[in-house]
Amino acid sequence: MAGIADFLDSLIGGFDLICYALAIGSLFWGLFLLRPWAEQDKFNPLLMEKTIALLYKGGFWLAAAQAFKIVLKIWLMTTVLERWPFPEFAGTTQFIGGLIRTALTLVLATYVYQVLRHHPYSKQHWITTGIVALPMIISGAWLIHGAGRFDNRYFLMTFTVFHQLAAAAWIGGVFQLVNLWLLREKQQVSAECWPLLLERFSKFGIASVLAILFSGVLMTLQYIDTWNGFIGTGYGNLLLVKICLMALALGLAYLNKSAVVAYRLTGDSYTLNNRVPYYIEAETFVLITLLFTAASLASQPPAIDIAHLTASWQEVLNTFHPQIPQINSPTHIALLAGEAGRVAIIDQTPSMAATEWSNYNHNIAGLFLTTMSFFAMVSYLKLAETNKYVGLSRYWPVGFFCLGIFLFFRSDAESWPLGPIGFWDSTFNNGEVLQHRIATLLVFVLGVIELTARVSKKPHSRLPLVFPVLAAFGGLMLLTHSHVGFQPKSAFLIQVGHTTMGVFSLILACGRWLELKLDNPRNRIAGFISVAALFQIGIVLMFYREPLY
Amino acid sequence: MKKLLLFSLLLLLECQAPLVCAHAVVTDYSLKVTPLHTNHESKVELSFNSKVELGLSQLFLVSKGDKHQLLPAVNGEKQGQIIVTVPPLAVGDYAIRLKVFAADGHLTEDVIHFTATP
Repeated sequence: MAGIADFLDSLIGGFDLICYALAIGSLFWGLFLLRPWAEQDKFNPLLMEKTIALLYKGGFWLAAAQAFKIVLKIWLMTTVLERWPFPEFAGTTQFIGGLIRTALTLVLATYVYQVLRHHPYSKQHWITTGIVALPMIISGAWLIHGAGRFDNRYFLMTFTVFHQLAAAAWIGGVFQLVNLWLLREKQQVSAECWPLLLERFSKFGIASVLAILFSGVLMTLQYIDTWNGFIGTGYGNLLLVKICLMALALGLAYLNKSAVVAYRLTGDSYTLNNRVPYYIEAETFVLITLLFTAASLASQPPAIDIAHLTASWQEVLNTFHPQIPQINSPTHIALLAGEAGRVAIIDQTPSMAATEWSNYNHNIAGLFLTTMSFFAMVSYLKLAETNKYVGLSRYWPVGFFCLGIFLFFRSDAESWPLGPIGFWDSTFNNGEVLQHRIATLLVFVLGVIELTARVSKKPHSRLPLVFPVLAAFGGLMLLTHSHVGFQPKSAFLIQVGHTTMGVFSLILACGRWLELKLDNPRNRIAGFISVAALFQIGIVLMFYREPLY
Repeated sequence: MKKLLLFSLLLLLECQAPLVCAHAVVTDYSLKVTPLHTNHESKVELSFNSKVELGLSQLFLVSKGDKHQLLPAVNGEKQGQIIVTVPPLAVGDYAIRLKVFAADGHLTEDVIHFTATP
């Protein structure tokens, strides 16, 4: 139960940031981009209604997330400490600050719902909303991890809030662009709105990104003091992932900006209406993942505090070092024999069998994925359209079935079909085994969905969209995934492979999404990048080596 | 379609391995420089990188066979310092197992190994 509570606690952090971006980003959108009081004729009441709806919905969800966070903490502490955490918990900053922030967020959301919603063109009401939001924004400073530190506490609190504000301005603005496009697609807003607000957002987005970079660099210098800390710790690794994701999002943002500039020069709106919306959708995937990564980063010990547990760059590189995949598994008996010593606290004995068992599982899964993605890449060749044998490569998702069978047999050594514990007994009496069974089922489901999507000729089917959404979610899971029971250095050396796969999963998702949405030849390029990312995931798995523990 | 997507997302949620949150870490401890001797009560100082809510934290002495014994602890004079009282021990290998709740809301578990010498 502690694992589930801990996991939800980490997820709720990302959800909290999404709601914050939605609420505060929408506020900035109204105040600085729409400015509806000055241009009432350009923005119709429906657009204003939808814009404001995102603001108060973001606020109400944020309040709910904040309250749920407190409940989760209580649950987590009750489970881990094996006792009711009150009255001690009632006196903590997390409890008091969490309640205050919940109340202030409710005040903001209620004001927007009860007042601003009825006066969407009133400058006074928009400014008042900003003033009402201010205490909620400031109250967040006591809930971030800088608040618990001893050095430069107020500096860290101030710049973390500033960093969050800048991120909310950018990401909330992208959410509003998606909202605007949905209205534009249904022709519920004027045609001029789309290029006008895209152009305004381009400038606003640049300012937000500069603010993110400025505050981010200042904070990084407080938490990471060496290059090795940047490369060889979980904190540095997640920061590197954030930088990669930001570069990815900025690449997509650049395509949008170029389209706006081209539209202003030529008046041709084709790209603006047929490509930019999908770039923005893909950017949304990236930014949501970025927010979850940011939440995950906050749960890592800063590199500056664990200098003695930092991996060297050679150790990090060694994680990706090409080597012959392990195709021989230790025996099941050897694995079980080493388990008692491995999990002991006193007289702990590292289990070579456990490490080799894990290596084998990862390496073979990698072989499946590289083979599948190789055929997937072949399916994009011109030859696949003309040669019926090469054309069979489009059935590559069948590989998911084989992977599912492999996982079914190998996931749980102590359970049926390899171990002594029966199928039903192991499935319903052990949470971890249940998770593995569900994962196996999911791999089969993914295979069915993607195979059907690739083979089916239905042009308007939404089934193909399932795969990229699940891939993005899978990437998000990998990026927020840590390992229990390891020393920080071992955990990091495992984490570094998982986060790399997380980034490739996101590229896989964005590529497939754009393939399904864009026109030819861009869709084929995006599709090829997508399966090439899957190939990279396979390579990482194929060379995976777990530290001995 | 939406139900299928939602179902799949829920499945993925279920499949995620548990996470560990680890913001508060032990940056230093007295056992590094002062070995623990047998047969008399000892004080062990632990230094953390952030403020720790002692009332919501637990420290255990782990002895052979992974037997756990709750240890009394108080805040030290320095920021982030906790002083643990360890009872008289026989010669052997031991560990202090920590479950600490940091001021930033993260629960951390850690283990410090040590040997009691004559």
